[in-house]
Amino acid sequence: MDLSTLSAAELVKRLSSGELTAESCTESFLERIKDRDSSLNSFVSTAESAISAAQAIDERRSTGQAVGALAGLPVAVKDGICTAGIATTAGSRMLEKFVPAFDATMVKQLLSADAVVIGKTNMDEFAMGSSTENSFFGVTKNPWSDQHVPGGSSGGSAACVAADLAPVSIGSDTGGSIRQPAAFCGITGLKPTYGRVSRFGLIAFASSLDQIGPMARSAEDCGLVMNVISGHDSNDSTSAKNDVPDFTQTLNDSLKGLRIGICKEHFGEGLDSEIESAVNESVKVLESLGAETVEISLPHTPYAVATYYVIAPCEASSNLARFDGVRYTHRAATAKDLTEMYCQSRAEGFGEEVKKRIMLGTYALSSGYYDAYYLKASKVRRMIKHDYDSAFEKVDLILGPTTPTTAFKIGEHTQNALAMYLADIYTVSANLAGVPAISIPCGLTSAGMPVGLQLQARSFDEASLLRVAHQFQLQTDWHTRRPNA
Amino acid sequence: MSEPIDRKTVESVARLARIDLPEDQIDDTASKLGDVLTYIGQLEQVELPDDVEPFFGAIESVNAIRPDQLTDSVDREQILSNAPDADGEFYQVPPVL
Amino acid sequence: MSETFTSPQFDQATRDAVSNDDVTVIIGLEVHVQLDTESKLFCGCSTEFGAPPNTQTCAVCTGMPGSLPVINERALQLSIKTGLALNCEIARYTKWDRKNYFYPDLPKGYQISQFDKPICGQGYLDITAPKGEFEPRRVELERAHLEEDAGKSMHDESQRGGNSKIDLNRTGTPLLEIVTKPDMRSPAEARAFLTELKLILTYIGVSDCNMQHGNLRCDGNVNLHIKVGGEKIATPIVEIKNMNSFRAAERALGYEAGRQLKLWKQNGKTIADAPKQTRGWNDADQVTTPQREKEESADYRYFPDPDLIAVTIEESEIESIKKEIGRLPAQWRELLIKEHGLKPYDAGVMVGQGAEVVEYFLVVAQGCGNSKMASNWVGQEVLRFLNESGEAIDAYPVSADQMTELLTKVNAGELDQTRAKEVLQEMIDSKIEVQAAMDKLGIKAVDNSEIESLCRQLIDENPDVIQQIKDGNGKAVGALIGKSRKLNPNANPGLVKDTILKMIGA
Repeated sequence: MDLSTLSAAELVKRLSSGELTAESCTESFLERIKDRDSSLNSFVSTAESAISAAQAIDERRSTGQAVGALAGLPVAVKDGICTAGIATTAGSRMLEKFVPAFDATMVKQLLSADAVVIGKTNMDEFAMGSSTENSFFGVTKNPWSDQHVPGGSSGGSAACVAADLAPVSIGSDTGGSIRQPAAFCGITGLKPTYGRVSRFGLIAFASSLDQIGPMARSAEDCGLVMNVISGHDSNDSTSAKNDVPDFTQTLNDSLKGLRIGICKEHFGEGLDSEIESAVNESVKVLESLGAETVEISLPHTPYAVATYYVIAPCEASSNLARFDGVRYTHRAATAKDLTEMYCQSRAEGFGEEVKKRIMLGTYALSSGYYDAYYLKASKVRRMIKHDYDSAFEKVDLILGPTTPTTAFKIGEHTQNALAMYLADIYTVSANLAGVPAISIPCGLTSAGMPVGLQLQARSFDEASLLRVAHQFQLQTDWHTRRPNA
Repeated sequence: MSEPIDRKTVESVARLARIDLPEDQIDDTASKLGDVLTYIGQLEQVELPDDVEPFFGAIESVNAIRPDQLTDSVDREQILSNAPDADGEFYQVPPVL
Repeated sequence: MSETFTSPQFDQATRDAVSNDDVTVIIGLEVHVQLDTESKLFCGCSTEFGAPPNTQTCAVCTGMPGSLPVINERALQLSIKTGLALNCEIARYTKWDRKNYFYPDLPKGYQISQFDKPICGQGYLDITAPKGEFEPRRVELERAHLEEDAGKSMHDESQRGGNSKIDLNRTGTPLLEIVTKPDMRSPAEARAFLTELKLILTYIGVSDCNMQHGNLRCDGNVNLHIKVGGEKIATPIVEIKNMNSFRAAERALGYEAGRQLKLWKQNGKTIADAPKQTRGWNDADQVTTPQREKEESADYRYFPDPDLIAVTIEESEIESIKKEIGRLPAQWRELLIKEHGLKPYDAGVMVGQGAEVVEYFLVVAQGCGNSKMASNWVGQEVLRFLNESGEAIDAYPVSADQMTELLTKVNAGELDQTRAKEVLQEMIDSKIEVQAAMDKLGIKAVDNSEIESLCRQLIDENPDVIQQIKDGNGKAVGALIGKSRKLNPNANPGLVKDTILKMIGA
């Protein structure tokens, strides 16, 4: 039986009925990873403990004990999220040997739902990148084309799901790091509302923007995971206290009367015409389901990337100061004094992009520049949030392309950082404003590369995103297309 | 604020960030930082209402506090196990010169 | 400071001619107080002093990747309480900022502190000189903000370049940094400020202020304003660190003021010519020495901590904390002076011993009905014992009730002062109560007939003394009191004296 193409919902059903054991399910995915990941490089490590964890779940189920909602479901977790006793590298040489003593809250939630963590996925170092080329552990390839990047920074999490090496994975999204790789790899990825999922245990890139979310082959599967990982965490001061609905309950509610805003700033210069037509086709599908569409404006969109590239590096320059060679990081062997230890350890332990962003943030926060950069950007951020507030007075959702282009080639943008940064042009605003957003597959280009459709909603209305995405997926089969099929 | 960054500033920023920057990489770094700074310089053009408050965090609730209660500390052996240099009791670092 | 200073160059002769009267010392203080919480500011690790190194740490206070801070409610409450006791405006909205710098005992590479929205705003503290060394002064407070402490670095002192050792037990302990305006005009004022501040903090119970444990630390900013040639100049400001006792602070500030005057007379440099300098107090040599400037230490790149959210403080919370404060030292002194007739100096000494001593006094004063007597006994007997033994009042062997019983007997004339002191000593030595001590000393009441026969005997046996008294030398009766004590130690000397005078008709 080939389990690899089954949805998470289907796997959970079969595990629950006893048709499938957690052990065989876990083994089957680990086997697939062993066979196929050497060329793809979507995993940094696989979890040795997975099989015994699966056996323990089977044991409990067979003796009639209660098991969790995801009992036996294999999950891949981005390597920037702490897993107790399992190396957590954030894609960096700096943390090559780091083994956390604690699980991220979100990992605890997965484990208490009896999901099985099968491995840690590759990522751009400290989540800084849009291609998963900036990893100390090598480039991850796009399952649709080994010449292309899977997107980033959660490129490993996207690629492993697209290649059927895991039914679901966990990513993190600071400026598009779940949605952009989901779009590039033809899968579904949800960035929840800021505060919806605890950040405790997520190695911070930019604390006010980072958010953990699910990546899967369907909206329904994302909803299953969201039910487990959402909710307040008293260990995270920025965690929201809002009630958590059952995200799978409302998937089939009618879209009649739903107002969808088409953001005109997302259809300008730089948008690939094949993507534009795929998105326009998607609009028709949603209209056929009863949704109303209107054109809206998010007027500060053109400044979002610039705003992001002030705020994220500023926060990062401070968040990454703890990687200093003292307590758990790489330390340069040659350092003779304290200053050398810092400077050499950090020069050796961090990759080029990370060093550049740290210096950028250090500069922008330094004496005399704070007002011009950080303060100004934080004010523009307020305007971006205002744009959303105004838009959501008129519409329930905002629709547009996830990215201006499909997956680019490996190495294509490595010498042109700005071109790489602009891959996030449609995604960063949601992080700046804190609103939830989802990317779902909505087409393939003539070159056979996946296209992503982005939907954004009011804060804490992930349910609407999942509902619309689910019904779109009932009408279309883009999400079921597989590479090399 | 959009003028590219000079060598001297790059050196001082690298020092402030505690990142060793070899002499032969300074110009390249200056040019790469300069590109980004030029790009983000477009923020200058954004006209803002006088009373706009900065938005620092994506959540605007208040008062996440915890009671003053002890929780278990982590076992010393475990917490020192990730350190590049520790003597069983202390973290060790090279001397301040 | 709104004052403006000129920076003219004066020649050597003009500088030499400046007298001490033309010089004003300007002092501001920054005091770090460790708040008395069970757990750290942002995690549940203990703040207990003296544990083995690195045994009171966790993922949060060691800055492990992925860890996040959550603020300790008690630290907020103690900060508010302190602010109220120091007449500060309490913020209704307060937030957290990161102060970025690298040091091995600062695990995250930044300290969580407060930059522009401190929990306590402007306030003040009134100081007076115990012996009148200066006029009473109001010292304005700039602010008080909450922040986390760093850990401890132990450097190799052998000069052989050995490794430094890092202990992170203290990391994350809550500190309130209290910053004064440059309002003090002498080292004595600075010391009085620190003394009064510490007293307030211990009275309201926010900190034990144990300086040996580093629970109260202070830095001073000092420079001189000099009137010269019809102008006013200021010397460069020096921040003095490592003043680890109040006496050290007074001496360090005094030394620094003298050093600055001498230096200015030598080189004429003013505040316009030199940036703020940091010097450390060397207690062994009694000098300040320049401290190596931390590289780019001035550029802390403060920005709001995105891992924490703001705290709003409700009026009702402030009101309820206000109720917990009770009388402050100044109010106690006033009460002792006005309602118990203590001299200001004595009231100061009493209050300076802490709230428990004051409470002890009040029990005794009210119980025996004689505040003056109670003040003398507590002020002399009790405090001498405590000073000599180094103990706190709760270790004093005589309870307030027993002291009351003893003084009630004195007040009623049943015991004279000298006998009462013997009784007190016996109570302390034998750990017994008043009556038992009196019994042990053979003290019993002497009735009037016994007094009369005793006096008759003294008159008969000392005709020359009686003659002196009759001749108008009243003091001569003292000789008879001494003899009376030998004949019957229990006879009340006052009564003996009165009876003799009556009997001889003097």
